[in-house]
Amino acid sequence: MEIKRYFRLWLLFTRLTTMVAFQSRFGAIVFLFGKLLRFLFFLLFIVVLVSKTQTLVGYSIWQIVFFFATFNLIDTIPQLLWREVYRFRSYVVSGFFDYIITKPISPLFRSLFGGSDILDIVMLIISFIFIFFSAAKLEILTLMGIISFCALVLNAMVISLALHIFVLSIGILTTEIDNAIMLYRDLTQMGRLPIDVYAQPLRGFLTFIIPVGIMITFPAKAIMGLLSWQMLIFSFAAGLTFFILSLFCWNFALKHYASVSS
Amino acid sequence: MLLGACLQNKMRKYFLVITNTWNEILTYRLSFILWRLRTVLQLLTIYFLWSSLIPHQKTLFGYSQSLMLTYVIGTSFISSIVLSTRTHEIGENINSGNLSAFLARPIGYFGYWFARDMGDKLGNITFSLIELAFLFFLINPPLFFQTDVIYLLFFITTIFLGIILHFCIGSLLGMIGFWSPEVWAPRFIFFILIGFFAGSLFPLDIFPKPIFNLLQFMPFSYLLFFPLKIYLGQLSVPQIMQGISISLVWIIFLSGCLYFVWRKGLKMYTAYGN
Repeated sequence: MEIKRYFRLWLLFTRLTTMVAFQSRFGAIVFLFGKLLRFLFFLLFIVVLVSKTQTLVGYSIWQIVFFFATFNLIDTIPQLLWREVYRFRSYVVSGFFDYIITKPISPLFRSLFGGSDILDIVMLIISFIFIFFSAAKLEILTLMGIISFCALVLNAMVISLALHIFVLSIGILTTEIDNAIMLYRDLTQMGRLPIDVYAQPLRGFLTFIIPVGIMITFPAKAIMGLLSWQMLIFSFAAGLTFFILSLFCWNFALKHYASVSS
Repeated sequence: MLLGACLQNKMRKYFLVITNTWNEILTYRLSFILWRLRTVLQLLTIYFLWSSLIPHQKTLFGYSQSLMLTYVIGTSFISSIVLSTRTHEIGENINSGNLSAFLARPIGYFGYWFARDMGDKLGNITFSLIELAFLFFLINPPLFFQTDVIYLLFFITTIFLGIILHFCIGSLLGMIGFWSPEVWAPRFIFFILIGFFAGSLFPLDIFPKPIFNLLQFMPFSYLLFFPLKIYLGQLSVPQIMQGISISLVWIIFLSGCLYFVWRKGLKMYTAYGN
């Protein structure tokens, strides 16, 4: 029943945010065009690079394209769903967050899902097209690989959700942070290519400390049959741990909220 | 003597703007540290990508490992000089009506924003040098050091041209504020174009010849790629002179556009309630 109520609320918030976004159609189209351009430019870079080197750290061009398409999928879904996080700091600074916490809905839900950006659906569709197209070119494709891929993408969403909750918590505790969410974006951008590209200890850092590898590289590796079952279990354990820690962090931040503006 | 005092007074105003911008940076310290952390991460991403692509004593696209890594680290440093800017605030300044206050002040509008840029660059250069020294100590990259004074002079000259060019483009984008509240969307496109065509991710000459030739006539390549190619000593003097000429043509053209758009914008600018 609660889920149904929150789903209805999400639909309402999303409809209102979309109406606001379409007030300036020019801006919406230009932003969308920019994202498309960024996708195509990086794809061009990959093609130019791998056409010269034949392989990149042992991966063929279609495998690299698959890694990149997976990155886009995992990068786009959180932007689509949790766009409100990007506006959160202004809510804390202006005192609008006082208004949010007095409402009879979860402030965490409101702060995460209060402004989903459905314009990102276009990028989502493009990501899916490239995932299907490049997956078809992969030589080894098993049912187990596809199931592992889907499960690890879901796990990536859990980790991403946890990282967004961390950012919200930091926003409450230290009002001056503007760049926290962009730092998350930069870290995930390191996963545009398989993390095998990076030397140690950076690779270890990206796997075990900031789980960019688990989020982006592991799902793609799983479909290619390159991920051990130990790493598969480790990925889900990491996802769960991050999620629980983020909820602790959110509760801690909420208790220390000082209502700076009012 | 009177002229000298007048000039000194005028310069003092801009110097104050520079110091104010520097102080602003230090006010939001945590935010600035995170911004710099982002820059370091971006550098590390590209650095490790290229170091794994070009093994020691091998070449790719005509670059040895040391040349490519010098290019990557160099673009990171030069972007803190050339690309750091405050011109993104111009559009909001016009939209919010704060421009009215500037029009009444005894200070040049573009001089003010250029001084803001200088303050911002000062902060970014300082921190960039500290980060690079730290990275140098940590990963000890195989760098190429240019010792030819002529190339170094050309290198510094093209950095100055890059600063002016970027200021002109940034200010022009800010002028959109006269006609539309949507000042961020075009700037977003500009960021993406710069990200790829200024050469911060890779040297532009890895592109096929026809694309590279086309890029040479666009202003973006003169922000990062061109100065770095000079530093690496990969361009002949005639090629450098040709590049400088193209930069100058762009600067003159964009300055003219900026002047024209500014005059047009002021004629239709209205503000109330301030």
